[in-house]
Amino acid sequence: MIGGVYAVISIGLTLVFGVMGIVNFAQAEFLMLGMFVAYYAWAWLGLDPLITAPLAFAVVFVFGMAVHHLMIRRVLKAPEVAQVFLTVGLLIVLENAALLMFGSGFKSVATSYQTSALHLGPLFISVPYLAAFLMSVACGAVLWLFLERSWFGRAMRATAQNPMAAKLMGIDSDRMHRIAFALGVGLTAFGGAVILPYLTVSPTVGDQFVVLMFTVVVLGGLGSVAGAVVGGLAVGIIQSISGLLFPIQMQNLVLFVVFIGVLAIRPEGLLGRAR
Amino acid sequence: MTALLQISNISKRFGGLQALNDVNVNIQRGEILGLIGPNGAGKTTLFSTLVGLLKPSTGSIKLEGREMAGMKPHRIAAAGMVKTFQNVALFLDSSVLDNVLTGGLLRHSVSEARALARHCLAQVGLSDIADKRAGDLSFPERARVEVARALCTEPRILLLDEAMAALNHAEMDEFLTLLRRLRDDGLTLVIVEHHMKAIMSICDRLLVLNFGRQIAIGTPAEIARDPAVIEAYLGRSAA
Amino acid sequence: MKPSLKYTLIALALALAIALPFGLEPRGYATRILCLVLLFAAMAQAWNIVGGLANQMSLGHAAFFGIGAYGSTILLVKYGISPWLGLLPGMAAGGVAAWLISLPTMRLRGHYFALATLAFGEVMRLVANTWGGLTGGPSGISVPFSKPGLAVFQFKEMRPYYFLMLAALLMVTAIFAGIRHSKLGYRLRAIRENPAAAEAIGVDTTRTKIIAAVISGALMAGLGTFYAQFQFFFDPDTVFSIPAISVRVAMIAIVGGVGTTIGPIVGALFLIPIEELANQTFSDQAAGLSQLVFGLLLIVVILAEPRGLLEIGRRLWRWRGRT
Repeated sequence: MIGGVYAVISIGLTLVFGVMGIVNFAQAEFLMLGMFVAYYAWAWLGLDPLITAPLAFAVVFVFGMAVHHLMIRRVLKAPEVAQVFLTVGLLIVLENAALLMFGSGFKSVATSYQTSALHLGPLFISVPYLAAFLMSVACGAVLWLFLERSWFGRAMRATAQNPMAAKLMGIDSDRMHRIAFALGVGLTAFGGAVILPYLTVSPTVGDQFVVLMFTVVVLGGLGSVAGAVVGGLAVGIIQSISGLLFPIQMQNLVLFVVFIGVLAIRPEGLLGRAR
Repeated sequence: MTALLQISNISKRFGGLQALNDVNVNIQRGEILGLIGPNGAGKTTLFSTLVGLLKPSTGSIKLEGREMAGMKPHRIAAAGMVKTFQNVALFLDSSVLDNVLTGGLLRHSVSEARALARHCLAQVGLSDIADKRAGDLSFPERARVEVARALCTEPRILLLDEAMAALNHAEMDEFLTLLRRLRDDGLTLVIVEHHMKAIMSICDRLLVLNFGRQIAIGTPAEIARDPAVIEAYLGRSAA
Repeated sequence: MKPSLKYTLIALALALAIALPFGLEPRGYATRILCLVLLFAAMAQAWNIVGGLANQMSLGHAAFFGIGAYGSTILLVKYGISPWLGLLPGMAAGGVAAWLISLPTMRLRGHYFALATLAFGEVMRLVANTWGGLTGGPSGISVPFSKPGLAVFQFKEMRPYYFLMLAALLMVTAIFAGIRHSKLGYRLRAIRENPAAAEAIGVDTTRTKIIAAVISGALMAGLGTFYAQFQFFFDPDTVFSIPAISVRVAMIAIVGGVGTTIGPIVGALFLIPIEELANQTFSDQAAGLSQLVFGLLLIVVILAEPRGLLEIGRRLWRWRGRT
């Protein structure tokens, strides 16, 4: 179930890579941004994060458009060194800007259902987790509709699969990239808002998710949205299992071993295309 | 006398494409074998398979009795089988001498390799450009440097992939003389070429591939008369 | 550049480097900065072996650095082993770690390799943070004070540190230059330019890359010990840091001239003082501001010259070399 959430968070990353071919190392920072948007919406307006999740999406979406326009598109043709450094630089800037703006403390929201749990037979399902999962599923469905049915979605997929052909058919690849990027970071932000009820937010919260997100994406296949879903579920399962077997120090290590293992054995992941 | 290189039942499949289909040939020590066939016949694929850049789907490759199929390229090179690349794969940012020297590192120290490299460059007639940057050379020069580099590994058998492609007549004659000299010194050669006259004049035998299949093997004279070969090159109507 | 001119310049630079600290305050701020310059130049040089000679952009070198720092310090704190001795297991651990991470990442290039190494460094940080029993966790670990002296690798003044760092830099640079002109260097260059061709002429690409990685990792770990003895205190977020260590050493090497022997030194001389200046100007304002500036600087530089930090490095290099 956590896997569903992981999927939503990571879809953005894979989308960006699929359409544009660059790995956004700063992706986790957008998660953090989404969480903060939702947090302040709660703190100032009293709105539940699950309701403001779309708002988080929208805010970060717009921000993402700006980031793409100002920075990302300039390095598309540059050597990989530059691309990597740019997104890493972005990571540093976002994290520290957040540190300056929001302070380093941990903040959390308090919602009415935070500690309640549903009793389904032998299982205890915590309500915040369930809510997050349902929201993720909803988001996933909307995304699927968008990618499959709308013109934009299909244009984006065309750009991902064959940039030259797409261009020849009149699709403005720059615009597609911008939308894809904004969509990607927006989705991650949405995921952030949705998990706010059961996590605390701080400027460094992104760090915890970096390895996770990348593992999900690599496992499912960089560039494949369906892969991100599969990867998310897989990682969720792996985490649960490792939580039972290993002490907490080891869990991240387990995740990392999986990550490296996949990269080594099958870099395209389960469903991805080789790039 | 056992053949130097025994190629048995070599096949290579890429997904749906059968690039090589049951190639069989025994290459004798000191032989010059020509490998010919229309474009796309699988000649470069065969070379790549022989040196280990590709794994054969089936079959065996025995060099001096030792099984090479499935080994990594650097081990096969160490055993004495080396190839040149059709598109010439030099280290463009390095000097010509450094390029050739790197081949010599297989069996020698840096200083020994350097001396050997100079010797190899002299053999291909390129001593005067030893210090030039490889990327600045013309294509024919690069092709010859590539041959020198391969020679520097002190191979037993050398596979040349269209090494004469960009040479003019005079250069080609010189090159053929070089090849003959190398053979006289004990080297075995397999060459892929499209210049028919050159191939006919220098090769002891010819192996003809078409669509990955071996359609004929024999002396140049036999091959020239072989109807299957003629059909492959000129189409059904000419046979 | 003519060899005789080159050697003269090197001798001069060396003489200057040796004489310099005597003209400065022994405990002074300037000497401290120079120590950092030397240390980071050495670190960048170690990175240069993998990032420059082997052309594999590693963003996880902090992993080795932290392993070395924690290695010698834990041995010191728990068993009283001198840091000079603790240096060795630390370096060995760094080498082993490099070997371990090389195996699965062997065939990765570009983004994927950077990703894998980044994750490696991050995981090390997370492990160090959660394994409190061994490392002291997020609160960090301290080198216990003893009477200062060479034997215990502790000093009150900056000057002895300066000379030790200088020695370290010279050694790492010597190793780098040595590799460059050795069989290993030629093979790495071949792999860098055309891996298939390299294999075809007998270069064992896997083994060669691993050797380079192990040397780089071991050296980096050793420098971690130097850092520990210099700073006396550190925590996982410092020594395993992506921006402060991993990215920084890569940047220093790249800006200075990746793959060249002098590059990391030039890069450090250029970048570290600028960063310190920024730190000084901004540090009293808020935490994270100096890092922010660093990040912005990185972004601005790349946007200004996306075709490569290398271009800037090259231009700088030509301007400095003027030959």
